[in-house]
Amino acid sequence: MNNAFGSLSDDEVRQIAELVETLDHSTFDFLQLEIGELKLTIGKGTAPLTSGAIAPVAAVRLPLPAPAAPLPAAPVATPAAAASSPPAAKATAPAQDGTVAIVAPIMGRFYAQSEPGAAPFVTVGAMVRNETTVALIEVMKVFNAVPAGVSGVVTEICVQDAEIIEYGQVMFRVRPTETALADVPIIA
Amino acid sequence: MTVSRVLIANRGEIAVRIIRACQALGIETVLAVSEADRDSLPARLAGRTICIGPPSSTASYLNVKTIVAAASGTGSDAVHPGYGFLAESSELAEACAAQGIVFVGPQAEQIRQMGNKLQARALARQCGVPILPGSEKVHTYDEAATVAEQIGFPVMLKAAAGGGGRGMKIVTEYKDMRQMFTSASAEARAAFGDDTLYLERFIPNARHVEVQLLGDRLGNVIHLGERDCSLQRRHQKLVEEAPAPAMTEPRREEIRQAAVTLARNIGYENAGTVEFIFDQDTGRFYFLEMNTRIQVEHPVSEAISGIDLVQEQFRIARGEALRFSQSDVIFRGHAIECRITAEVPDQGFRPSPGRISEWSPPEGPNIRLDTHCYAGYTVPIYYDSMLAKLIIYGRDRVEAVERMRRALEQFSVSGVGTNLPFLRFVMGHPDFAAGKVNTHLVEELITQMGSARAGAKS
Repeated sequence: MNNAFGSLSDDEVRQIAELVETLDHSTFDFLQLEIGELKLTIGKGTAPLTSGAIAPVAAVRLPLPAPAAPLPAAPVATPAAAASSPPAAKATAPAQDGTVAIVAPIMGRFYAQSEPGAAPFVTVGAMVRNETTVALIEVMKVFNAVPAGVSGVVTEICVQDAEIIEYGQVMFRVRPTETALADVPIIA
Repeated sequence: MTVSRVLIANRGEIAVRIIRACQALGIETVLAVSEADRDSLPARLAGRTICIGPPSSTASYLNVKTIVAAASGTGSDAVHPGYGFLAESSELAEACAAQGIVFVGPQAEQIRQMGNKLQARALARQCGVPILPGSEKVHTYDEAATVAEQIGFPVMLKAAAGGGGRGMKIVTEYKDMRQMFTSASAEARAAFGDDTLYLERFIPNARHVEVQLLGDRLGNVIHLGERDCSLQRRHQKLVEEAPAPAMTEPRREEIRQAAVTLARNIGYENAGTVEFIFDQDTGRFYFLEMNTRIQVEHPVSEAISGIDLVQEQFRIARGEALRFSQSDVIFRGHAIECRITAEVPDQGFRPSPGRISEWSPPEGPNIRLDTHCYAGYTVPIYYDSMLAKLIIYGRDRVEAVERMRRALEQFSVSGVGTNLPFLRFVMGHPDFAAGKVNTHLVEELITQMGSARAGAKS
């Protein structure tokens, strides 16, 4: 019992190491485990929101469910064409409700999905990371992919698909995850 | 062709000016604003605003694609570019046309023709408009030196792609030629990405005289008289007046007709200005360039002609014929404009942005103030330093100068430094009062004012 993890036995540490290795080879980003007093979160990048849920919970990154609503006039660009000079979105300081805004880095036409009929980049409840593409903004047939610039869960989509949005206009609200999981000990 | 909603792709006083013209014509206004101008006076006056980008003008007011997208996105059927920024961008005129949006200005091709200074010179020559003895493009120092000797010193080196005084050098003696050629090329390359130069004879005792034109799509071109804009500092105009003083009537008529001929020759449409150099020693004038936009100093022509140039721009843009012939245009009185800038004359005209704590402009008959400033307004650091244009009208030049002098005395601004002290000095100077102006007077007066102040202190 003289390992770095204090109360954990060598066997338990070995088991955790195995879990880390297993997760690393899986398609999952995070693993949360709660057994009695033991709470364990393992993952890559930014941690998902801990909702206090019990038992193994895996926060899965995209793909996201298909949209229920029909989509208005949508861009004709392919995702490849969309990637021209992606401007960085600015996330604002947290609002009173703890959410931050993802604002438009350029003026243009907002598109919620990569092409007509495709699933939207994000929906309410979706988990985003800094580099996650959240929208396309079109300026004269040039489609600019907009990264989230923040990690967290989308709580609100503030603009309509195919709407002209201003520079600095709020597109999404995101409840940020407190800290990046990679930066904290694997045991909470 | 209808114009019912216009996107104004500009800021400051000219945005206010355009909005007022639109209000008079019943045209809806959408103002494109940068993040720095969201709360500006024109933003409050416009029907709506659309924020097109960050303060930096390259990412906002100078972005052709964003401007066109803003126009179509807001359902605007026209774009007015104002002056500066994209006013002389054939690319914007073309992009608007491609989207079925009316560009309030000339056709793209006319902007291109006049934008290239050498092409414009060639056009003037074809029309029989006098041009300064000079060269075509010169690429090497040897070429330039040969041409310079033919023209005779002093000569002026100019950038073919140029404007605004950049890439312009006066060479008074042959021995300075090599050094000046090198620095003018470098300046031209840095400013315009093109180091092609051309040469012109330099006129030492010159006035800057320009003719205001209006042309319609049907080929009618008329002039609204000429303006004298000789008072310049570093090629930036400070004081403008109309009509040009001390010019014989036959010469005045000649210069006006030369401008009309040039514009008519290219079927020029909308408002434009042909600039000339007037040699006071010989009484001859020479074509300089044509500006294919509404100009800062347009109000002095409005004052003596009674014609609202910006309103006419919209009428022409929607395809209407000019509402008056040349003989309908009657000139009356004299008008002077002073450009009030946030620059401190005592400190080498250092720009002085900041919050205006007091703004008390002169008021009364025959006073017009075109401005976007007010007490509490913060002059941003990102754009030019012009705060206002003070335009004074009088029955004659003497009365106009006297009224301007008093109006400037009554103009009080605190919080930011202004060039008002210098303008007061100019208006009170006997040389200006006597109409003895040329393009070097400002530099002389700056020196004089400096020593007068130093004298007063000691």
